[in-house]
Amino acid sequence: MSTGAAPADAAHGAVSRRALLAASAALPLLLTACKGVQALGTPPPPAPDIVALRSAIYAEHTMVARYAAVLVLLRSQPPAGSTPQDLALVTAVSAVQAEHTAHLAQLKSRLVQPAGSAPSPTPAPTVHVTGTVAAQLTALEQAEQAASDRLIGQLAGLPASLAQLFASIAASEATHVPFLQAAGQGQ
Amino acid sequence: MTNAGGPVIAALQGALAAEQAASYGYGIVGAHLRQRSAMQADATDDWVAHLRASDQLAKLISARGGTPTPAAVVYQLPFQVSTPAQATALAATLEDRVAQAYLGVVALTETGLRGFGAEQVRAAALRAEAWRGSTQPFPGLPPTSLRR
Repeated sequence: MSTGAAPADAAHGAVSRRALLAASAALPLLLTACKGVQALGTPPPPAPDIVALRSAIYAEHTMVARYAAVLVLLRSQPPAGSTPQDLALVTAVSAVQAEHTAHLAQLKSRLVQPAGSAPSPTPAPTVHVTGTVAAQLTALEQAEQAASDRLIGQLAGLPASLAQLFASIAASEATHVPFLQAAGQGQ
Repeated sequence: MTNAGGPVIAALQGALAAEQAASYGYGIVGAHLRQRSAMQADATDDWVAHLRASDQLAKLISARGGTPTPAAVVYQLPFQVSTPAQATALAATLEDRVAQAYLGVVALTETGLRGFGAEQVRAAALRAEAWRGSTQPFPGLPPTSLRR
């Protein structure tokens, strides 16, 4: 039994050596192919400043939508409620919304899309508001303060010019809190 | 102002100079507001805030081996002040300039200083809003730095 086994093992060994030689010759090609497929299939993750910028852009989109919804609520008030204070409040809320629109434009202008890629559409946030105007103003004030704090918390590691823009927008959003409080007195 | 010590000391010296100018300016502001009025009390509070910020900046500069530049004896005002309305406009202008100077600190890479600078930009913008009664979309940023 042992005598029959020896030639078979030798033949098997010869085949294995040929297969091994062929495989070793093909290995660099296979590795290159795998590397190529990986490079095409898995784009590198976005840099932290791009992540922060996209987050800030989405936050501003949301703020613009929130103010638009509150303006709809304000304008739906019955004419009897259109006192000079109401009109002043609409003007104030519109002014703040315009500043958020300006923030959004500046942030978007800093987002450089890779060549050949279509700009990624940011889904417009859908915002519904219910309740009283006073409650909505309070919610906006809280959202402004939170947005300001969030931007300041994202400054580490950003390029200098983007950090300055974030800090300036954070300051602007903080000023919206007392501005809305003053405009909403009497609501 | 000395720029010895590199960009960190230079940015801190810039903020210190703006704080010192604001401290001087608030003396003018307070002098033109109605005596013992709420606005004059606000001006006093803001003046004290700028003095404290100057002290803090001087310590930061010294801790980094720099020498805080002393305040000037007198500063040229950006416009004539002879009425309460002009005084409040001056206060808002002073705060705008302080915010702009602190954005120089925000540009530094040191995380702690960047956060400190951002908090000071926000504080100055809040004081400016209180004096002006309106907000600005980009406190401290010159319009030329904004992209169209």
